[in-house]
Amino acid sequence: MTRKPITRRDFLKVASAAPLAGALLPRLSAAPAAAADKVRVVLVRDPSPLGTGGAPPAEVVQRMLDDAVKALLGETDVVKAWKSLIRPDDVVGIKTNVWRYIPTTAEVEQAIKRRVMDAGVAESDIGIDDRGVLRHPVFQKATALVNARPMRTHHWSGVGSLIKNYIMFTPQPSAWHGDTCADLAAIWDLPAVKGKTRLNVLVMFTPLFHSVGPHNYAKDYVWEYKGLVVSRDPVAADAIGLRIIEAKRKEHFGDDRPLPMTPHHIALAETRHHLGVADPARIELVKLGWAEGILV
Amino acid sequence: MSRPEAPDVRTLASYIPVTAGPWLSEADQVFDAETVFDYIDGAGEVYRSYNMRSLVARRFHKDGRPDIVVDAFDMGSSADAFGVFTHDLDGEDAAIGQGSAYKAGLLSFWKDRYFLSVYAEEETAETKALVLDLGRRIAAAVPGSGPKPGLLALLPADGLEAGRVRFFHTQAVLNYHFFVADTNVLQLDQTTDAVLAGYGGSRLLVAAYGGPEAAARARASFAGAYMPEAGDPAAVRTENGKWTAVRSAAEIVAVVFDALSEREARDRLDAVFALLEKRALRPGR
Repeated sequence: MTRKPITRRDFLKVASAAPLAGALLPRLSAAPAAAADKVRVVLVRDPSPLGTGGAPPAEVVQRMLDDAVKALLGETDVVKAWKSLIRPDDVVGIKTNVWRYIPTTAEVEQAIKRRVMDAGVAESDIGIDDRGVLRHPVFQKATALVNARPMRTHHWSGVGSLIKNYIMFTPQPSAWHGDTCADLAAIWDLPAVKGKTRLNVLVMFTPLFHSVGPHNYAKDYVWEYKGLVVSRDPVAADAIGLRIIEAKRKEHFGDDRPLPMTPHHIALAETRHHLGVADPARIELVKLGWAEGILV
Repeated sequence: MSRPEAPDVRTLASYIPVTAGPWLSEADQVFDAETVFDYIDGAGEVYRSYNMRSLVARRFHKDGRPDIVVDAFDMGSSADAFGVFTHDLDGEDAAIGQGSAYKAGLLSFWKDRYFLSVYAEEETAETKALVLDLGRRIAAAVPGSGPKPGLLALLPADGLEAGRVRFFHTQAVLNYHFFVADTNVLQLDQTTDAVLAGYGGSRLLVAAYGGPEAAARARASFAGAYMPEAGDPAAVRTENGKWTAVRSAAEIVAVVFDALSEREARDRLDAVFALLEKRALRPGR
């Protein structure tokens, strides 16, 4: 039996109609979840000036990542925290994103790599790649993955997300574009990645909050948020990132302008694919550092 | 990955200047509907939904200045070139080609079966002038012009906001401009033509299907999902106090959203089908 479609009228029924995209996210739970039942997401920000590559200085990025991982795992020692994520005998792929205008940045890649090595992994057993992961010898034998990419609006999937970052583990990425990328979370069940992800880092140094033109990019729609969103749950981290993007759109455009393409793959990652938690009532958001303009 | 150039691609590339002031061009990159994702990621789906044939991308570089990128799409038909142009109408009319928009360093225009994007990675007075000059030179080099989709002839002129007309084929693009439903209740696909137009606060959607049976099925699907309480002819006052109405005849389905009154909705549908009766429609391809 097919389900009843969600139509424009369903949104009209909600007098306080939030952005359409936001309204597609799971409803708030009837009762608040206890902290112990929640998925933890850490948002860390630093006001340091950004370099030409769009990242804060390397030492600032390292500190941001370290603070986030310690807060995420409840550890005071960052190496000990990483050792709870990565074993010395792991082969670790750091899945990055090389998009021309807003990449993951070398600073983030190297900060992760340093801590993976601190956890005892040999440098030869660490790979950093994006579009070549299927051909990369380290990724081919990887036992652990660290997923790091920037969040930005996207012409087809609504937003480029941590969930979407694994599309390069498929031989034909366009095969996952159906229904505006609704089922991207199913990629996480593929053998190359299933069960391997130890940490997700959503880079929000200079997020893109509106897409124009074939390249999806205009400098006018980027702002210096200077944040990292870190979680073991990619869906929860994406849900937080999406809230920040939507809040920025409201601030910039002056109304609840929905993302033109609904980023429903984030909500469906929870409700259809059970990859993680998108429901804000079941996310514990820990905020560290710079608070000005935090938006969430 | 770029592919070897076919004759049509060489023709398309010949329309793009080799230099732009002191900016020099780099080697062309050429893509088709399968390889376009290598260049513009998932945004390629937008162009695929308009049946793109090929893309020639030429980057202009000058040390110490922002790059300028020309993306020239052969869409295979002027209807689809017009359609993909209407996907993003944000900006001021630059009077280039058969329709154009310029905003913040990005010029887009269409001419004949071609859609062009000329983009400066940073807008300055210098790059704006170069972008517009490149656009004019490319438009002048494209020899012909092409008709807009025939479906536009079914848009009643009274109250039409000419600058907000969108032509497309698929449900995803409809939802991009105006969210209707999360499933394909209008049964749109690559074989259907559709136009969405603004009339003050209301919208008019006109879609052309493969035949009367397909149109009738699409009308029934939409009415069943969106306005199950409505009778026939189908009109309903929706939760925002405005009116939605749907009707089909021949291969056409027309829907009015958010009319201020039932009368306005029915009058607009009457006008659509009066235009349909007046002319033998040729779906715009």
